Amino acid sequence: MKVLVVDDEEDVRFVAEVSLGRVGGMTVVVASGGVEGLQLARSEHPDFILLDMMMPGMDGLTTFHALKADPQTADIPVIFLTAKGLAPDTEHLGAKAVILKPFDPMTLASDIRKILES
Amino acid sequence: MIAPPTVVDEIERLAALDGYSIIDTEPEDSFDDIVRLATMYCEAPIGWISLVDATRQWFKARVGIEARETAREISFCGHAILGRSVFVVPDAQTDPRFMGNPLVLGDPGIRFYAGAPLTTPGGQNLGTLCVMDRQPRQLTADQLSALTMLARQVVTQLELRRITAVHSAAEDELRRCGDPRDFGAHMLDVSEPREVERMKREFISTVSHELRTPLTALRGSLGLLASGAMGEFPEEARPMLAVAERNSVRLMCLLDDILDSDKLQAGRMEMTAQPSPLRRILERAIADSVSLAGQEGVAIDLLCSDLRVMGDADRLVQVTTNLLSNAIKYSHRGGSVTVIATRVRGWAEVRVVDRGRGIAPGLQQKLFQRFQRADFSDARTKPGTGLGLSICKAIIEQHGGTIGVESSEGQGSTFWFRLFAITGIAGHEPSFDEGSALEGAQ
Repeated sequence: MKVLVVDDEEDVRFVAEVSLGRVGGMTVVVASGGVEGLQLARSEHPDFILLDMMMPGMDGLTTFHALKADPQTADIPVIFLTAKGLAPDTEHLGAKAVILKPFDPMTLASDIRKILES
Repeated sequence: MIAPPTVVDEIERLAALDGYSIIDTEPEDSFDDIVRLATMYCEAPIGWISLVDATRQWFKARVGIEARETAREISFCGHAILGRSVFVVPDAQTDPRFMGNPLVLGDPGIRFYAGAPLTTPGGQNLGTLCVMDRQPRQLTADQLSALTMLARQVVTQLELRRITAVHSAAEDELRRCGDPRDFGAHMLDVSEPREVERMKREFISTVSHELRTPLTALRGSLGLLASGAMGEFPEEARPMLAVAERNSVRLMCLLDDILDSDKLQAGRMEMTAQPSPLRRILERAIADSVSLAGQEGVAIDLLCSDLRVMGDADRLVQVTTNLLSNAIKYSHRGGSVTVIATRVRGWAEVRVVDRGRGIAPGLQQKLFQRFQRADFSDARTKPGTGLGLSICKAIIEQHGGTIGVESSEGQGSTFWFRLFAITGIAGHEPSFDEGSALEGAQ
Protein backbone atom coordinates (compact mmCIF):
# COMPACT_ATOMS: atom_id res chain seq x y z
CA MET A 1 0.00 0.00 0.00
CA LYS A 2 1.39 3.38 -1.00
CA VAL A 3 0.65 6.52 0.99
CA LEU A 4 1.38 10.16 0.31
CA VAL A 5 1.95 12.18 3.49
CA VAL A 6 1.52 15.95 3.02
CA ASP A 7 2.64 17.98 6.02
CA ASP A 8 4.73 21.15 6.29
CA GLU A 9 6.34 20.01 9.57
CA GLU A 10 9.46 18.00 8.84
CA ASP A 11 9.42 16.22 12.21
CA VAL A 12 5.77 15.21 11.86
CA ARG A 13 6.50 13.93 8.34
CA PHE A 14 9.40 11.88 9.72
CA VAL A 15 7.30 10.35 12.51
CA ALA A 16 4.46 9.59 10.07
CA GLU A 17 6.95 8.09 7.61
CA VAL A 18 8.36 5.74 10.26
CA SER A 19 4.91 4.93 11.67
CA LEU A 20 3.40 4.08 8.31
CA GLY A 21 6.55 2.71 6.68
CA ARG A 22 8.75 0.92 9.15
CA VAL A 23 5.95 0.03 11.62
CA GLY A 24 3.02 -0.22 9.22
CA GLY A 25 4.76 -1.77 6.24
CA MET A 26 3.51 0.84 3.76
CA THR A 27 5.41 2.60 1.00
CA VAL A 28 5.59 6.24 2.02
CA VAL A 29 6.01 9.28 -0.20
CA VAL A 30 6.22 12.66 1.55
CA ALA A 31 5.44 16.21 0.44
CA SER A 32 6.14 19.36 2.41
CA GLY A 33 3.22 21.39 1.07
CA GLY A 34 0.08 21.46 -1.02
CA VAL A 35 1.70 22.19 -4.39
CA GLU A 36 4.27 19.41 -4.01
CA GLY A 37 1.48 17.16 -2.72
CA LEU A 38 -0.60 17.71 -5.87
CA GLN A 39 2.39 16.96 -8.11
CA LEU A 40 3.24 13.76 -6.23
CA ALA A 41 -0.39 12.67 -6.14
CA ARG A 42 -0.46 12.84 -9.95
CA SER A 43 2.92 11.18 -10.49
CA GLU A 44 2.88 8.55 -7.70
CA HIS A 45 -0.82 7.55 -7.68
CA PRO A 46 -0.87 6.67 -3.96
CA ASP A 47 -3.59 4.45 -2.47
CA PHE A 48 -4.47 7.25 -0.07
CA ILE A 49 -3.27 10.66 1.05
CA LEU A 50 -2.67 11.75 4.63
CA LEU A 51 -3.15 15.52 4.39
CA ASP A 52 -2.34 18.09 7.07
CA MET A 53 -5.02 20.77 7.44
CA MET A 54 -2.93 23.71 8.54
CA MET A 55 -0.12 24.47 6.16
CA PRO A 56 1.32 27.78 4.98
CA GLY A 57 0.61 28.68 1.37
CA MET A 58 -1.79 26.11 -0.03
CA ASP A 59 -3.54 24.75 3.05
CA GLY A 60 -5.11 21.33 3.48
CA LEU A 61 -8.61 22.29 2.40
CA THR A 62 -7.40 24.03 -0.77
CA THR A 63 -5.19 21.07 -1.59
CA PHE A 64 -8.13 18.74 -1.00
CA HIS A 65 -10.37 20.67 -3.39
CA ALA A 66 -7.60 20.75 -6.00
CA LEU A 67 -7.16 16.98 -5.68
CA LYS A 68 -10.89 16.41 -6.10
CA ALA A 69 -11.06 18.75 -9.10
CA ASP A 70 -8.35 16.85 -10.97
CA PRO A 71 -9.60 13.66 -12.71
CA GLN A 72 -6.17 12.07 -12.16
CA THR A 73 -6.42 12.39 -8.38
CA ALA A 74 -10.14 12.76 -7.67
CA ASP A 75 -10.60 9.11 -6.67
CA ILE A 76 -7.72 8.95 -4.19
CA PRO A 77 -9.10 8.71 -0.63
CA VAL A 78 -7.97 11.59 1.57
CA ILE A 79 -7.57 11.41 5.32
CA PHE A 80 -7.09 14.71 7.05
CA LEU A 81 -4.55 15.15 9.79
CA THR A 82 -5.39 17.97 12.15
CA ALA A 83 -5.32 19.31 15.68
CA LYS A 84 -8.31 18.77 17.92
CA GLY A 85 -10.95 21.42 17.41
CA LEU A 86 -9.94 22.13 13.82
CA ALA A 87 -11.47 19.03 12.29
CA PRO A 88 -13.49 19.79 9.15
CA ASP A 89 -16.83 18.23 8.35
CA THR A 90 -15.44 15.30 6.40
CA GLU A 91 -18.83 13.90 5.45
CA HIS A 92 -19.79 17.20 3.86
CA LEU A 93 -16.45 17.47 2.09
CA GLY A 94 -16.27 13.91 0.92
CA ALA A 95 -13.03 13.17 2.75
CA LYS A 96 -12.53 9.70 4.15
CA ALA A 97 -11.79 10.57 7.77
CA VAL A 98 -9.89 12.82 10.13
CA ILE A 99 -7.01 11.70 12.29
CA LEU A 100 -6.33 13.96 15.23
CA LYS A 101 -2.88 15.06 16.27
CA PRO A 102 -1.13 13.64 18.10
CA PHE A 103 -1.64 10.23 16.59
CA ASP A 104 -0.40 6.99 18.09
CA PRO A 105 2.62 6.06 15.94
CA MET A 106 2.24 2.38 16.68
CA THR A 107 -1.39 2.15 15.59
CA LEU A 108 -1.51 4.80 12.88
CA ALA A 109 -1.16 2.33 9.99
CA SER A 110 -3.67 -0.16 11.38
CA ASP A 111 -6.12 2.65 12.17
CA ILE A 112 -5.86 3.89 8.59
CA ARG A 113 -6.30 0.39 7.15
CA LYS A 114 -9.53 0.04 9.16
CA ILE A 115 -10.74 3.41 7.88
CA LEU A 116 -9.99 2.50 4.26
CA GLU A 117 -11.73 -0.87 4.60
CA SER A 118 -14.84 0.63 6.17
CA MET B 1 -28.80 93.91 22.17
CA ILE B 2 -25.38 92.28 22.05
CA ALA B 3 -25.07 88.83 20.54
CA PRO B 4 -23.13 86.38 22.72
CA PRO B 5 -19.45 86.09 21.78
CA THR B 6 -18.08 82.74 20.66
CA VAL B 7 -16.59 80.50 23.33
CA VAL B 8 -12.77 80.37 23.20
CA ASP B 9 -12.59 76.62 22.60
CA GLU B 10 -15.72 76.53 20.46
CA ILE B 11 -14.53 73.72 18.17
CA GLU B 12 -13.78 71.42 21.10
CA ARG B 13 -17.06 72.43 22.75
CA LEU B 14 -19.10 71.61 19.63
CA ALA B 15 -17.24 68.29 19.27
CA ALA B 16 -18.10 67.45 22.87
CA LEU B 17 -21.75 68.36 22.29
CA ASP B 18 -21.81 66.19 19.17
CA GLY B 19 -20.43 63.29 21.20
CA TYR B 20 -23.58 63.20 23.33
CA SER B 21 -25.88 62.84 20.27
CA ILE B 22 -28.57 64.70 22.16
CA ILE B 23 -29.56 67.51 19.81
CA ASP B 24 -32.95 67.03 18.13
CA THR B 25 -33.83 63.94 20.15
CA GLU B 26 -37.26 63.30 21.61
CA PRO B 27 -38.18 64.59 25.10
CA GLU B 28 -37.18 62.31 27.97
CA ASP B 29 -38.77 62.16 31.41
CA SER B 30 -35.49 62.37 33.28
CA PHE B 31 -34.68 65.77 31.73
CA ASP B 32 -38.27 67.04 31.94
CA ASP B 33 -38.33 66.22 35.65
CA ILE B 34 -35.17 68.22 36.31
CA VAL B 35 -36.58 71.31 34.61
CA ARG B 36 -39.86 70.98 36.53
CA LEU B 37 -37.92 70.65 39.79
CA ALA B 38 -35.79 73.68 38.96
CA THR B 39 -38.77 75.90 38.12
CA MET B 40 -40.68 74.73 41.20
CA TYR B 41 -37.79 75.29 43.58
CA CYS B 42 -36.86 78.62 42.04
CA GLU B 43 -40.56 79.63 41.82
CA ALA B 44 -40.10 80.57 38.17
CA PRO B 45 -42.76 80.21 35.41
CA ILE B 46 -40.22 79.44 32.70
CA GLY B 47 -37.30 77.04 32.55
CA TRP B 48 -35.38 74.87 30.12
CA ILE B 49 -32.39 72.75 29.42
CA SER B 50 -30.71 74.52 26.56
CA LEU B 51 -27.98 72.99 24.43
CA VAL B 52 -26.09 75.53 22.39
CA ASP B 53 -24.81 74.38 19.03
CA ALA B 54 -23.14 76.49 16.32
CA THR B 55 -26.23 78.44 15.32
CA ARG B 56 -29.02 77.87 17.83
CA GLN B 57 -29.99 76.94 21.32
CA TRP B 58 -32.10 73.77 21.35
CA PHE B 59 -34.28 72.80 24.31
CA LYS B 60 -34.05 69.21 25.51
CA ALA B 61 -36.70 69.96 28.11
CA ARG B 62 -38.77 73.09 28.68
CA VAL B 63 -41.47 74.65 30.84
CA GLY B 64 -43.41 77.82 29.95
CA ILE B 65 -42.41 78.08 26.31
CA GLU B 66 -43.70 76.41 23.16
CA ALA B 67 -40.66 76.90 20.93
CA ARG B 68 -38.14 73.99 20.69
CA GLU B 69 -35.24 76.26 19.79
CA THR B 70 -34.13 79.84 19.15
CA ALA B 71 -31.27 81.43 17.25
CA ARG B 72 -28.04 81.43 19.20
CA GLU B 73 -27.47 85.18 18.77
CA ILE B 74 -30.59 86.06 20.77
CA SER B 75 -30.01 83.41 23.45
CA PHE B 76 -29.32 84.20 27.09
CA CYS B 77 -27.69 80.81 27.37
CA GLY B 78 -25.10 81.78 24.74
CA HIS B 79 -23.85 84.27 27.35
CA ALA B 80 -24.23 81.85 30.26
CA ILE B 81 -21.90 79.23 28.72
CA LEU B 82 -19.01 81.73 28.78
CA GLY B 83 -18.56 81.28 32.54
CA ARG B 84 -18.34 78.54 35.13
CA SER B 85 -20.93 79.74 37.64
CA VAL B 86 -24.62 80.64 37.48
CA PHE B 87 -25.20 83.51 35.06
CA VAL B 88 -27.83 85.91 36.44
CA VAL B 89 -29.63 88.75 34.67
CA PRO B 90 -31.88 90.46 37.29
CA ASP B 91 -33.66 92.69 34.74
CA ALA B 92 -33.14 92.13 31.03
CA GLN B 93 -34.81 95.40 30.13
CA THR B 94 -32.03 97.35 31.86
CA ASP B 95 -29.17 95.12 30.69
CA PRO B 96 -27.61 96.43 27.44
CA ARG B 97 -26.83 92.87 26.31
CA PHE B 98 -30.55 92.03 26.21
CA MET B 99 -32.32 95.31 25.55
CA GLY B 100 -34.28 94.88 22.32
CA ASN B 101 -33.92 91.05 22.45
CA PRO B 102 -37.01 89.42 20.87
CA LEU B 103 -37.20 87.00 23.83
CA VAL B 104 -37.51 90.03 26.08
CA LEU B 105 -39.76 92.10 23.89
CA GLY B 106 -41.98 89.25 22.69
CA ASP B 107 -42.78 85.70 23.81
CA PRO B 108 -41.97 84.55 26.47
CA GLY B 109 -41.22 88.06 27.73
CA ILE B 110 -38.12 87.34 29.78
CA ARG B 111 -37.17 89.94 32.45
CA PHE B 112 -35.23 87.73 34.84
CA TYR B 113 -32.78 84.98 33.83
CA ALA B 114 -30.57 82.60 35.87
CA GLY B 115 -28.64 79.87 33.98
CA ALA B 116 -26.28 77.28 35.41
CA PRO B 117 -23.78 75.98 32.81
CA LEU B 118 -23.87 72.29 31.92
CA THR B 119 -20.17 71.56 32.31
CA THR B 120 -18.96 68.19 31.07
CA PRO B 121 -16.28 66.17 32.90
CA GLY B 122 -13.95 67.44 30.16
CA GLY B 123 -14.70 71.07 31.10
CA GLN B 124 -16.89 72.01 28.11
CA ASN B 125 -20.08 74.02 28.65
CA LEU B 126 -22.72 72.40 26.45
CA GLY B 127 -25.55 74.70 27.45
CA THR B 128 -27.47 75.57 30.59
CA LEU B 129 -30.19 74.63 32.97
CA CYS B 130 -31.98 77.93 33.40
CA VAL B 131 -35.03 79.47 35.03
CA MET B 132 -36.72 82.71 33.92
CA ASP B 133 -39.41 85.04 35.09
CA ARG B 134 -41.46 87.76 33.47
CA GLN B 135 -40.57 90.22 36.19
CA PRO B 136 -37.26 91.48 37.60
CA ARG B 137 -36.04 89.46 40.61
CA GLN B 138 -33.18 87.50 42.21
CA LEU B 139 -32.66 83.91 43.39
CA THR B 140 -31.96 83.11 47.02
CA ALA B 141 -28.65 81.48 47.87
CA ASP B 142 -30.45 78.15 48.30
CA GLN B 143 -32.08 78.48 44.91
CA LEU B 144 -28.75 79.28 43.29
CA SER B 145 -27.23 76.19 44.93
CA ALA B 146 -30.19 74.06 43.87
CA LEU B 147 -29.89 75.26 40.27
CA THR B 148 -26.17 74.41 40.28
CA MET B 149 -26.82 70.96 41.72
CA LEU B 150 -29.60 70.23 39.25
CA ALA B 151 -27.35 71.32 36.38
CA ARG B 152 -24.85 68.71 37.54
CA GLN B 153 -27.67 66.16 37.45
CA VAL B 154 -28.40 67.10 33.85
CA VAL B 155 -24.77 66.42 32.96
CA THR B 156 -24.91 63.10 34.82
CA GLN B 157 -27.99 62.13 32.80
CA LEU B 158 -26.25 63.13 29.59
CA GLU B 159 -23.23 61.00 30.52
CA LEU B 160 -25.41 58.01 31.39
CA ARG B 161 -27.27 58.38 28.14
CA ARG B 162 -24.03 58.51 26.16
CA ILE B 163 -22.49 55.48 27.88
CA THR B 164 -25.69 53.45 27.50
CA ALA B 165 -25.84 54.30 23.81
CA VAL B 166 -22.23 53.27 23.23
CA HIS B 167 -22.71 50.02 25.16
CA SER B 168 -25.83 49.30 23.19
CA ALA B 169 -24.05 49.96 19.90
CA ALA B 170 -21.19 47.71 21.00
CA GLU B 171 -23.64 44.93 21.85
CA ASP B 172 -25.35 45.33 18.48
CA GLU B 173 -22.01 45.23 16.74
CA LEU B 174 -21.00 42.12 18.64
CA ARG B 175 -24.19 40.39 17.66
CA ARG B 176 -23.84 41.49 14.06
CA CYS B 177 -20.16 40.84 13.48
CA GLY B 178 -19.30 38.38 16.20
CA ASP B 179 -15.84 39.89 16.17
CA PRO B 180 -14.92 42.85 18.35
CA ARG B 181 -11.89 43.58 16.16
CA ASP B 182 -14.26 45.16 13.66
CA PHE B 183 -15.33 47.82 16.14
CA GLY B 184 -14.62 51.46 15.60
CA ALA B 185 -12.09 53.06 17.91
CA HIS B 186 -14.78 54.82 19.93
CA MET B 187 -16.23 51.46 20.85
CA LEU B 188 -13.00 49.93 22.02
CA ASP B 189 -13.10 51.99 25.20
CA VAL B 190 -16.22 50.39 26.57
CA SER B 191 -15.63 46.93 25.16
CA GLU B 192 -12.04 46.76 26.37
CA PRO B 193 -12.61 44.09 29.05
CA ARG B 194 -14.52 42.01 26.51
CA GLU B 195 -11.80 42.59 23.93
CA VAL B 196 -9.08 41.61 26.40
CA GLU B 197 -11.02 38.47 27.30
CA ARG B 198 -11.45 37.58 23.63
CA MET B 199 -7.77 38.16 22.91
CA LYS B 200 -6.84 36.03 25.89
CA ARG B 201 -9.03 33.19 24.66
CA GLU B 202 -7.67 33.52 21.14
CA PHE B 203 -4.13 33.45 22.50
CA ILE B 204 -4.86 30.33 24.55
CA SER B 205 -6.47 28.66 21.59
CA THR B 206 -3.65 29.52 19.20
CA VAL B 207 -0.92 28.50 21.60
CA SER B 208 -2.69 25.26 22.39
CA HIS B 209 -3.07 24.38 18.73
CA GLU B 210 0.45 25.45 17.88
CA LEU B 211 1.85 23.33 20.70
CA ARG B 212 0.07 20.32 19.34
CA THR B 213 2.28 20.04 16.27
CA PRO B 214 5.61 19.77 18.11
CA LEU B 215 3.93 17.50 20.62
CA THR B 216 2.82 15.24 17.80
CA ALA B 217 6.42 14.87 16.72
CA LEU B 218 7.60 14.47 20.32
CA ARG B 219 5.04 11.86 21.35
CA GLY B 220 5.38 10.04 18.07
CA SER B 221 9.15 9.84 18.38
CA LEU B 222 8.98 8.69 21.99
CA GLY B 223 6.33 6.12 21.14
CA LEU B 224 8.42 4.75 18.31
CA LEU B 225 11.53 4.60 20.49
CA ALA B 226 9.66 2.90 23.34
CA SER B 227 8.12 0.34 21.00
CA GLY B 228 11.52 -0.72 19.70
CA ALA B 229 10.57 0.22 16.16
CA MET B 230 13.86 2.06 15.84
CA GLY B 231 15.94 -0.71 17.40
CA GLU B 232 16.56 -1.89 20.94
CA PHE B 233 16.79 0.78 23.58
CA PRO B 234 19.35 0.33 26.43
CA GLU B 235 17.59 -1.18 29.45
CA GLU B 236 18.98 1.42 31.89
CA ALA B 237 17.62 4.23 29.73
CA ARG B 238 14.07 2.88 29.66
CA PRO B 239 12.91 4.61 32.90
CA MET B 240 14.08 7.90 31.44
CA LEU B 241 12.14 7.22 28.25
CA ALA B 242 9.07 6.41 30.34
CA VAL B 243 9.42 9.76 32.13
CA ALA B 244 9.56 11.60 28.81
CA GLU B 245 6.60 9.68 27.41
CA ARG B 246 4.51 10.11 30.57
CA ASN B 247 5.12 13.83 30.65
CA SER B 248 4.35 14.32 26.99
CA VAL B 249 0.99 12.66 27.71
CA ARG B 250 0.47 15.05 30.64
CA LEU B 251 1.25 18.01 28.45
CA MET B 252 -1.26 16.85 25.86
CA CYS B 253 -3.94 16.34 28.55
CA LEU B 254 -3.24 19.84 29.83
CA LEU B 255 -3.67 21.26 26.33
CA ASP B 256 -6.92 19.37 25.84
CA ASP B 257 -8.25 20.59 29.19
CA ILE B 258 -7.27 24.20 28.53
CA LEU B 259 -8.94 24.11 25.12
CA ASP B 260 -12.09 22.48 26.49
CA SER B 261 -12.28 24.83 29.45
CA ASP B 262 -11.77 27.80 27.16
CA LYS B 263 -14.49 26.63 24.78
CA LEU B 264 -16.95 25.95 27.59
CA GLN B 265 -16.33 29.36 29.12
CA ALA B 266 -16.90 31.03 25.78
CA GLY B 267 -19.97 28.89 25.09
CA ARG B 268 -18.29 27.61 21.93
CA MET B 269 -18.26 23.90 22.70
CA GLU B 270 -20.53 22.22 20.21
CA MET B 271 -22.60 19.37 21.55
CA THR B 272 -24.86 17.06 19.63
CA ALA B 273 -27.79 15.81 21.66
CA GLN B 274 -28.87 12.33 20.72
CA PRO B 275 -30.55 9.55 22.68
CA SER B 276 -27.87 7.15 23.84
CA PRO B 277 -27.87 4.03 25.98
CA LEU B 278 -26.13 5.00 29.22
CA ARG B 279 -24.46 1.60 29.44
CA ARG B 280 -22.63 2.19 26.15
CA ILE B 281 -21.34 5.55 27.39
CA LEU B 282 -20.11 4.07 30.65
CA GLU B 283 -18.51 1.09 28.94
CA ARG B 284 -16.61 3.39 26.60
CA ALA B 285 -15.38 5.44 29.56
CA ILE B 286 -14.28 2.30 31.36
CA ALA B 287 -12.48 1.05 28.25
CA ASP B 288 -10.63 4.39 28.11
CA SER B 289 -9.65 4.02 31.78
CA VAL B 290 -8.51 0.39 31.80
CA SER B 291 -4.91 1.28 31.04
CA LEU B 292 -4.64 3.74 33.95
CA ALA B 293 -6.45 1.33 36.26
CA GLY B 294 -3.94 -1.36 35.33
CA GLN B 295 -0.99 0.91 36.09
CA GLU B 296 -2.45 1.88 39.47
CA GLY B 297 -3.56 -1.66 40.35
CA VAL B 298 -7.22 -0.69 40.69
CA ALA B 299 -10.22 -2.70 39.45
CA ILE B 300 -13.30 -1.13 37.87
CA ASP B 301 -16.83 -2.53 38.30
CA LEU B 302 -19.96 -1.46 36.49
CA LEU B 303 -23.51 -1.78 37.78
CA CYS B 304 -25.84 -0.32 35.22
CA SER B 305 -29.59 -0.18 34.80
CA ASP B 306 -31.03 -0.15 31.30
CA LEU B 307 -31.24 3.62 30.94
CA ARG B 308 -31.09 6.01 28.03
CA VAL B 309 -30.11 9.65 28.20
CA MET B 310 -30.33 12.54 25.79
CA GLY B 311 -26.92 14.09 25.26
CA ASP B 312 -23.61 14.21 23.50
CA ALA B 313 -22.21 10.74 24.01
CA ASP B 314 -18.58 11.77 23.44
CA ARG B 315 -18.81 14.51 26.06
CA LEU B 316 -20.53 12.23 28.55
CA VAL B 317 -17.78 9.67 28.01
CA GLN B 318 -15.30 12.47 28.69
CA VAL B 319 -17.03 13.34 31.97
CA THR B 320 -17.18 9.73 33.13
CA THR B 321 -13.57 9.09 32.11
CA ASN B 322 -12.50 12.14 34.09
CA LEU B 323 -14.37 11.01 37.20
CA LEU B 324 -12.93 7.51 36.79
CA SER B 325 -9.43 8.89 36.35
CA ASN B 326 -9.69 10.80 39.64
CA ALA B 327 -11.19 7.83 41.44
CA ILE B 328 -8.41 5.54 40.21
CA LYS B 329 -5.62 8.00 40.98
CA TYR B 330 -6.76 8.49 44.56
CA SER B 331 -7.58 4.82 45.25
CA HIS B 332 -5.29 2.49 47.16
CA ARG B 333 -3.38 -0.04 45.08
CA GLY B 334 -5.38 -3.26 45.01
CA GLY B 335 -8.62 -1.36 45.58
CA SER B 336 -11.57 -0.94 43.28
CA VAL B 337 -13.75 1.72 41.77
CA THR B 338 -17.44 1.08 41.09
CA VAL B 339 -19.57 2.85 38.51
CA ILE B 340 -23.27 2.65 39.34
CA ALA B 341 -26.03 3.91 37.07
CA THR B 342 -29.60 3.99 38.35
CA ARG B 343 -32.85 5.81 37.74
CA VAL B 344 -33.65 8.30 40.49
CA ARG B 345 -37.05 9.92 40.00
CA GLY B 346 -36.84 10.66 36.29
CA TRP B 347 -33.12 11.21 36.39
CA ALA B 348 -30.39 8.88 35.27
CA GLU B 349 -27.82 9.03 38.04
CA VAL B 350 -24.25 7.89 37.55
CA ARG B 351 -22.13 7.41 40.67
CA VAL B 352 -18.39 6.78 40.55
CA VAL B 353 -17.47 5.32 43.91
CA ASP B 354 -13.95 4.91 45.24
CA ARG B 355 -12.66 3.68 48.58
CA GLY B 356 -9.71 6.03 48.71
CA ARG B 357 -8.77 8.60 51.28
CA GLY B 358 -11.78 10.88 50.83
CA ILE B 359 -11.94 14.67 50.68
CA ALA B 360 -12.32 17.19 53.51
CA PRO B 361 -15.79 18.80 53.58
CA GLY B 362 -14.43 22.31 53.02
CA LEU B 363 -12.73 21.25 49.81
CA GLN B 364 -15.52 19.30 48.21
CA GLN B 365 -17.36 22.07 46.37
CA LYS B 366 -14.16 23.97 45.58
CA LEU B 367 -13.05 21.03 43.48
CA PHE B 368 -15.50 22.03 40.76
CA GLN B 369 -13.83 25.40 40.36
CA ARG B 370 -11.09 25.93 37.80
CA PHE B 371 -7.51 25.10 38.84
CA GLN B 372 -8.63 23.53 42.12
CA ARG B 373 -7.14 20.25 43.21
CA ALA B 374 -7.46 18.00 46.22
CA ASP B 375 -5.13 19.33 48.90
CA PHE B 376 -3.24 16.14 49.46
CA SER B 377 0.42 16.23 50.23
CA ASP B 378 1.08 14.15 47.14
CA ALA B 379 -1.46 15.92 44.93
CA ARG B 380 1.34 17.32 42.79
CA THR B 381 2.62 13.82 42.10
CA LYS B 382 -0.78 12.84 40.71
CA PRO B 383 -1.04 14.08 37.14
CA GLY B 384 -3.84 16.56 36.67
CA THR B 385 -4.51 20.08 35.56
CA GLY B 386 -7.09 21.21 38.10
CA LEU B 387 -9.47 21.84 35.22
CA GLY B 388 -11.06 18.40 34.83
CA LEU B 389 -13.91 18.74 37.32
CA SER B 390 -14.78 22.27 36.25
CA ILE B 391 -15.02 20.94 32.69
CA CYS B 392 -17.21 18.03 33.87
CA LYS B 393 -19.47 20.48 35.72
CA ALA B 394 -19.83 22.73 32.67
CA ILE B 395 -20.59 19.80 30.36
CA ILE B 396 -23.18 18.29 32.70
CA GLU B 397 -24.80 21.65 33.30
CA GLN B 398 -24.99 22.24 29.55
CA HIS B 399 -26.95 18.99 29.43
CA GLY B 400 -29.35 20.41 32.01
CA GLY B 401 -27.99 18.05 34.65
CA THR B 402 -26.29 18.36 38.00
CA ILE B 403 -23.00 17.11 39.38
CA GLY B 404 -21.71 16.72 42.91
CA VAL B 405 -19.60 14.84 45.38
CA GLU B 406 -20.17 13.02 48.64
CA SER B 407 -17.13 12.10 50.65
CA SER B 408 -15.94 11.10 54.09
CA GLU B 409 -12.31 11.50 54.95
CA GLY B 410 -10.63 8.14 55.13
CA GLN B 411 -13.58 6.29 53.63
CA GLY B 412 -13.62 7.29 50.00
CA SER B 413 -15.54 9.56 47.69
CA THR B 414 -18.52 9.30 45.39
CA PHE B 415 -18.68 11.70 42.47
CA TRP B 416 -22.08 11.68 40.80
CA PHE B 417 -23.95 13.32 38.00
CA ARG B 418 -27.59 13.29 37.01
CA LEU B 419 -29.08 13.65 33.56
CA PHE B 420 -32.66 13.58 32.44
CA ALA B 421 -33.54 9.95 31.64
CA ILE B 422 -35.53 9.37 28.49
CA THR B 423 -38.05 6.62 27.94
CA GLY B 424 -36.63 3.57 26.18
CA ILE B 425 -37.87 2.40 22.80
CA ALA B 426 -39.33 -0.70 24.33
CA GLY B 427 -40.81 1.37 27.11
CA HIS B 428 -39.26 -0.92 29.70
CA GLU B 429 -36.55 0.46 31.90
CA PRO B 430 -36.13 -1.62 35.01
CA SER B 431 -34.48 0.27 37.83
CA PHE B 432 -31.47 -0.75 39.87
CA ASP B 433 -33.76 -1.15 42.87
CA GLU B 434 -35.75 -3.78 41.06
CA GLY B 435 -32.59 -5.83 40.88
CA SER B 436 -32.89 -6.53 37.20
CA ALA B 437 -30.69 -5.82 34.23
CA LEU B 438 -27.66 -5.40 36.44
CA GLU B 439 -24.34 -6.94 35.98
CA GLY B 440 -20.73 -6.54 36.93
CA ALA B 441 -18.79 -5.33 33.96
CA GLN B 442 -15.25 -6.15 34.93
